[in-house]
This record gives sequence, C-alpha cells and structure tokens, in this order.
Amino acid sequence: MDLGYYAPLGAEALLTGVALLVVLLGLFVKNKNLGGYLSLIGLGIAMWMVASAKLGTTFFFDTMYVDGFSQFFKAVFLAVSILVVIASLSRYKNHPGQDEYYALLLFATVGMMVVASAIDLITLFVGFELASLSTYALAAFDKEKKNLEAAMKYFIFGAASSALLLFGFSLLYGMTGSTRIADIAAISMADFGPATLVALIFVIAGFAFKMALVPFHMWAPDTYEGSPTLVSALLAAGSKKMGFAAAFRIILVALMALRLEWYVAFAILAAVTMTLGNVVAVWQTNVRRMLAYSSVAQAGYIAIAFVVIGAVSGSTNPDATYISQLGLAGGLLQILGHALMKTGAFIAAGVVGYMVLREGKENPDDIENYAGLGQRAPITAFCMLIFLFALAGIPPTAGFVGKFVLFNAAYDAGLLWLVLLAILNSALSLYYYLRVIKYMYVYKPAGGRISEPKGYVLALLLATIAVVGIGVHPEPFIGWAMQAAAALLP
Amino acid sequence: MTSEPLAVEYYVPLIMFLIMGAIVPIAALAAVKIISPLKPNRRKLSMYEGGLVPIRDARIQFNVQYYLFAIVFVIFDVEVLFLYPWVYIYASEVMQRVMVFGMNIAVFEMLMFVAVLLLGLLYAIKKEALRWV
Repeated sequence: MDLGYYAPLGAEALLTGVALLVVLLGLFVKNKNLGGYLSLIGLGIAMWMVASAKLGTTFFFDTMYVDGFSQFFKAVFLAVSILVVIASLSRYKNHPGQDEYYALLLFATVGMMVVASAIDLITLFVGFELASLSTYALAAFDKEKKNLEAAMKYFIFGAASSALLLFGFSLLYGMTGSTRIADIAAISMADFGPATLVALIFVIAGFAFKMALVPFHMWAPDTYEGSPTLVSALLAAGSKKMGFAAAFRIILVALMALRLEWYVAFAILAAVTMTLGNVVAVWQTNVRRMLAYSSVAQAGYIAIAFVVIGAVSGSTNPDATYISQLGLAGGLLQILGHALMKTGAFIAAGVVGYMVLREGKENPDDIENYAGLGQRAPITAFCMLIFLFALAGIPPTAGFVGKFVLFNAAYDAGLLWLVLLAILNSALSLYYYLRVIKYMYVYKPAGGRISEPKGYVLALLLATIAVVGIGVHPEPFIGWAMQAAAALLP
Repeated sequence: MTSEPLAVEYYVPLIMFLIMGAIVPIAALAAVKIISPLKPNRRKLSMYEGGLVPIRDARIQFNVQYYLFAIVFVIFDVEVLFLYPWVYIYASEVMQRVMVFGMNIAVFEMLMFVAVLLLGLLYAIKKEALRWV
C-alpha cells in the first residue's frame, strides 16, 4: 500500500509533525517567534490539504472517514486556529513558554480534526481527549489566579463529561457489540429496552457539556471569562464546535433509531439553552462573560438542527430528506459563522484587555473600558461592531445566513413555536450587543488613542472579511454546507 | 425501530436495580455495625503502616518533583502496556497485508509511537524535569 492512499488525512499528519517540530525547536532555538510562524505555515498548508482532499475514503480499518461533512468541520477548526495563531504572534511575542503554547494549540486542532473524521467511538474519544487535554493546559497558560480557577473548573467539568460519554459508549458497545457508527446504526435498538435510553442520556449529557447546552453550561462563562482571551476564542469557537461535530455523527447517524427519544430532549435543550443564555447575558457587565453567555445562546440555536431532523425524518412529509439536510446545513452554517464571529469578538476583547492592562488598571473586561473605543482603537471597535451585529443575526453577515437557513428549515419542519422563540431570542440578544456598541461609539473616551497590536488587527480584519463575505455572497457557502449535510444524511 | 414510545414495564427492572443498589451497601454496613463485637484498644485503633510502628503525622509535604517523576514514569508504564497487545497482533495476517516504507504497518506505528515518546523524554530532560534538586 502506498502512502498516497493516506493523502486525505495529510493535514492531520502534517499538523502533528509541525507540533512536534515546534516543541523540538523550542528546546534548541533561541528565536521563539519561529514556533508561531511555523505553526501558521503548517495551518495554512493544512487548510489547503483539507480543501483539496479526495472525499469518500475510509482509513485505518474503517475508523476514520473523509467526507464533505468532516472537511467542513476541519476547515472551521483550521480557520479558528489560524486566527488565534495570528493574534498570538503579538500577544506571546517574547513569552518564554511559546513553544508549548503553539504545540498545545496545534495538538488541540489535530484532536478536533480527528473527531470530525472519526466514524468509530474509540477513535472519536481519543480525538476528543487529545483536544480536551491540550485545551485544559492552555486555559491555565498565563498562570494568573483567575486562569487557574478557570482551568480547574474546565478540567473538572471536562473530565466528568468524558466519563459520562465513555459510560454511554460502553453501554452502546455492550448492546450492539461494535464501536463503529455504521454497525451501531444498523442494529435495531428496540430489543434492548431501557438500557438504550440510559446510553442515550449519557451520550447526550457528555456532548452537551462540550456544546455548553443548558443545564450543562455552568463551566462555560467562568472558563471563557478566566482563561487567556485567545484561548477563550479557541474554546468558544473551536472546542465547542467539536462537540457538535461528534454529536451530529453519533446522534444523527448511530442513534437515528432512537429519534423519538432524542427529538424531545433536544427540543427542550434548544429552547431552554437559547432563552437562558440570552436572558442571563442581558445582566452581564463583563464583556467576556456576556460573550460567553451569548455563545451558550448560540449553541441553543445550533441545537435546533437536531430538532428539525428528529421532527421530519421518518415522517410522511415528501420533502423529509431535503428538510433534514437543510436543517443540518443551517446548523453547519451557524457553526461556521459563529466560529468566525466569536473568535473575532474575543480577539477584540483581547485588544481592550491589552490596552487596559498597559494602563495599569484592573478588570480588563469591564464594559466601562469600552467607553469611546471608536476613537481610542478605531479598527478594533469597527470589527467588534461587525461581529456583534453578526452575532445578533443582522444582514449582510454570516450570522444572518446561518440563522436564516436554520429557521427556514425549522419552519418547513413545522416547528413554528421553536422558530418564534428563536426569533424573540434574537431580538432580545440585540439589546446587550447594542449596549457594547453604545459604549464604544456614544460614550466619551477615557483616554487617548492607543496603538493596536499588529497581530490582533490582522486577525480581526481577516475575520471581518470572512464574516461579511459570507453574508454578502452566501450561495457557495450554503452549497458547501448542503453538500456536507448530504454527506451525513444521504 | 422504536416507532412506539417505550412502555413503562420496561423500566421496572431498572428501578428494581436502582433500589437494590441503594439498599445493599447500606444493609451491609448496618449488618457489620449490629452483628460484630466491638472491643477497641489503643493498639487496634492505631494507624496501620505495613506492620511497623507509625512515626510522625501522615500529612507531610512532598517535594513537587515527585509528581514530575511520577508523570514521566507513567508515560513509559503506559508505553509498555501498549506493547503487550501490540506483540499479540503485529505478526497477524491483517497487519502483514499493509506495508508502509517496506515495513509491516504495526511495526511502523509502534516506531512512530516510541519516537514521539522519546521526543517527550528529550523534552523532559532538556527542561530539567529529571534533575533532582
């Protein structure tokens, strides 16, 4: 067998190699910025490899599968990592632990990419843990007291969710005798009685922790607020989406037979998550905490995809396949859009934190610090404005496209109550997003103009171009998402 | 396919299991308390430490370096753990069928694994994690 056969998984192999190389170089080379640039080049090549990979092949004895769905998620993860690395080039310029930082970031990315491709429970779990363990360490990277608290909470909740997940997997394996998703899907689960339900509950709970669905979201605000800002971006935009990638594969494919059970569970989870996330976000005066709750609310919107598919598949609706594909495509577009705008918003919060700490003040994330940001840091403020509008779902941005397709599918599936609730929630979310904008553009600045760090600015501009680009010209992205959805739900 | 909702009687065994699971440990502990004779003396109540007479308090501060050594040790412990199942399958027919760089794929994979671990050891040595101070 020649190595060319494994070319579609080249991106993962390349990034693993680059991560190891960064660690190795960090030991011997003095110029530590090298690690950051190497990571950036590696991520760029990996992005190209993901985009050009041949689809439809399975690897390693049917444990990994490269299809449109996996490549969609890999592209999202890589985009997030690229933005975070570009901003990190400024943030950790002369930091002594740089090589570890970039290596962990790359390992986390590889873990997420493995999860996107995994069609076997064990492989999926290994990828899940690779990404989780790397991000646990990253969350404590700045070694401040707040960091450590955030990392501790993240670690404890993450370990508990891994345990739940593994327990659910073990029950599935016990019932079906296989860890392959295709085999599990092929076996009728009805004969196993309540054990299936226990397995389903554990699997949903395990994933819901990663996806930060209410009531499994408690760790998210504390962790996103306390971690280094760029790591929060990676967690909210990358690691959380990994939960969705895994949940889509397992719940929509392996556990499709239990549709009636998980359909109700996800309907409740989605409704409660978006409502609670938005209502609590209204009260926050800490911008990063507000962004964390908004990210909880966004997870609620994305979870509508599960409800749509649960509602229509197996029904008499002649368009059932199309609507479920549209629902999943909506979820995927929302994931893509949210990943970009949330990364951007956290990076913008990072610029403000950088500014505040240089002035020697405390509480860098307090909303008071955003007063007059439009004059103090015009590029950051403008990009933040775009991201906040996108998060609220205002056209022409990526946030609007995702919500439009998703709510459209939910309406077609006959879930009018959920669509109404989601739209009401979007309206509510506008309040707290606009409040930040009011601080940035209406209030008097508390100081003079600052020089915005170059890496942050570049990352912000790239994210803004992507968010607006998807909003202005959505057709290819909708087509791409539909293709990815069709790969999972033929 | 579960086209109908699961009936209630399916859950009876599960509920029985939960109730029994709650009763059995409590009953076992209670039985010990009630049945066994209790004649404590100083020697019986003293701490057990491998049969020796205990000295000092058990709660002392360890040097944090013990943990670093323990972590490095665990990595190689796990490596050996992986080598056992590997020995079992590496000569199997399935593994013979796939060749990478003219090597049996199992050999290649184990080489990669050991190489990555070695890199970790190099990292630990270079960062002076294994130097006892």
